Amino acid sequence: MEYDENGVSIVPADLKKEIFEEARKDFRYEEYVRGCLNCGVCTGGCPPHRFFDFSPRIVLQKMKSKDPELIWTMMDEYVWACFQCFTCAMICPFLNSPGGVIAILREIAVRRGFESAKKVLKPYSRVLLKLTAYGNQLSPDMIQPDFFPDWGPHIGYASTDLAVKRKAIPMPTLQVTNLAWDVAPETMKELYDIFDEAGVFKIIEAVDPSLYEIIQDIVDDVRSS
Amino acid sequence: MAIEISNRLGLANVKSDYIHTAGRKLEDIHERLLELEAKGEVKVIHIKEENKPIEAETLLGWKKKIPTNKLWHHKSCGQCGNIPGYPVSLLWFMNQMGLEYVDERNQTSCTAWNYHGSGTSNPVGLAAVAVRNWHRAYELGLFPLFHCATTFGDYKEMRNLLVENKELRDEVRRIMQKIGRELVIPEYIVHYSEWVHVMRFEIAKLKKYDLSSVIATVHPACHTYKMIPEDCIYDKDIYAGKRTAVSTGVMLALGAQVADYSTWYDCCGFGFRHILTEREASRSFVMDRKIRPMVREAHSDVCITQDTGCTTTLDKNQWIGKAMGYTEQVPVMADVMFAALACGADVFKIVQLQWHTTDWRPLCDKIGIDWKKSEEEYNAYLEELKAGGKTVNLYEYPKS
Repeated sequence: MEYDENGVSIVPADLKKEIFEEARKDFRYEEYVRGCLNCGVCTGGCPPHRFFDFSPRIVLQKMKSKDPELIWTMMDEYVWACFQCFTCAMICPFLNSPGGVIAILREIAVRRGFESAKKVLKPYSRVLLKLTAYGNQLSPDMIQPDFFPDWGPHIGYASTDLAVKRKAIPMPTLQVTNLAWDVAPETMKELYDIFDEAGVFKIIEAVDPSLYEIIQDIVDDVRSS
Repeated sequence: MAIEISNRLGLANVKSDYIHTAGRKLEDIHERLLELEAKGEVKVIHIKEENKPIEAETLLGWKKKIPTNKLWHHKSCGQCGNIPGYPVSLLWFMNQMGLEYVDERNQTSCTAWNYHGSGTSNPVGLAAVAVRNWHRAYELGLFPLFHCATTFGDYKEMRNLLVENKELRDEVRRIMQKIGRELVIPEYIVHYSEWVHVMRFEIAKLKKYDLSSVIATVHPACHTYKMIPEDCIYDKDIYAGKRTAVSTGVMLALGAQVADYSTWYDCCGFGFRHILTEREASRSFVMDRKIRPMVREAHSDVCITQDTGCTTTLDKNQWIGKAMGYTEQVPVMADVMFAALACGADVFKIVQLQWHTTDWRPLCDKIGIDWKKSEEEYNAYLEELKAGGKTVNLYEYPKS
């Protein structure tokens, strides 16, 4: 992949047009992109704007321009800066939702397996595996000092005697270490069927083929159990 | 009209008879949902008498019924994974009040944390997962109560999208048929913090400690009040109805002081993806935009939250701040956990503060809670369990 002087990937003009059309055809688009006064209140309240080169006003203005070239400049790293807090949507006088637009653009980026999306989501694969294969997102055994050294020495609390500490939690559903709660296999199977039918597994295959293979092995095991 | 400021520390107790709404013409989705039900398009999970509902008002003055009994607990991945005292405190209160509920294995994640972090789903997937879990509550004859703010925000959005889009309904109905379920939508999407809010005076009756010297700062969760903002509880006696009332309401009912701080509206820095893969952004945000203002401006003794990600982010990211000279620290816990402490729940066995990283002991000392005794008993309990002892549960699965 080649990049221009602004770090934006160089792709054919036709692809940029396709991306814009794909975004505009999303059934949520008209709800999220309305009139824009360019007042900037969204950017003024935007949390990531304080730390990243990211502005919800720019997102809206580029979508309103209907210029595929401008919209493409957001498709690499730009869309991944958003915190998805929806402060922008809450305070916009015109009820626009720049955060909603970002969600649509991210969906396109992963569905099409863009290199930038693959790179951004690579460190996220452990979470994606847990959620997709087991039906909940975070497990107690993931909270370990190796992964979260910046969370301080006490994070090691979960490293010793985790099984007995979880057993001491007075909710039977929580007395496991490898899942947030003990999800029944029949429940997981329903989730797999939903992911199959909604195309979620296909999205994961596009953005991380090797992770997809691991997930499918687990899914096959659970389905045959 | 009456405007009265009685809280020297802030605006939490400001009362007003006015509801200031702009000229927004938003449709009440609840009415449209009932219209669809009348046409036979969807089934609705109604709030019944047996759910003992209490009415509250939302941002635009609409009425919202909050069920308080016969509930199906829709748990949160992050709470169950690393803040176990969060759901346990909620169940503990329901036991104290003799309320009926089910907590079971037949529930999936809402998958919305993943969606907002990675984009690896779509509205059909999200809506189908939502309806799957709603239907599970429906077939048990219970009303679903959502523990996580992102679940709450996502499910509000999915309800709206389902009501507004026939194509989405048709697609989700097709998937539900495939897994042996039906398209059902709850009459209201209800967050646990709303349950706590409407039950706050009942909770306050259980209070064991004087909290008048405790200064709390409230961090309202973005996905509670910024996603589908019109469907969130506001109260004209709390912040004069200008900020969401949940969490602040229970703190005031318990007699704690709720102090204002300038960045109350900011998010916590969680960012869904950032907390896991770009943590420098999250921790900088935590210290600069939340913890420092809470401590420097409000001299906060405790930061009160109403969501999974916020509690995690604000609690876990204070330690590393010391490396950059940030000395401010404040314990972080959810409204229901603080309320449980105030009502005499065990610090270790119920509120489970041992999993938190920022020191909460000074807060317990200030309230007068003997956490050392609680710790000794808990450690002895762990030894019993190691020796093959049985867990004393708050809840057991139904036999059938």
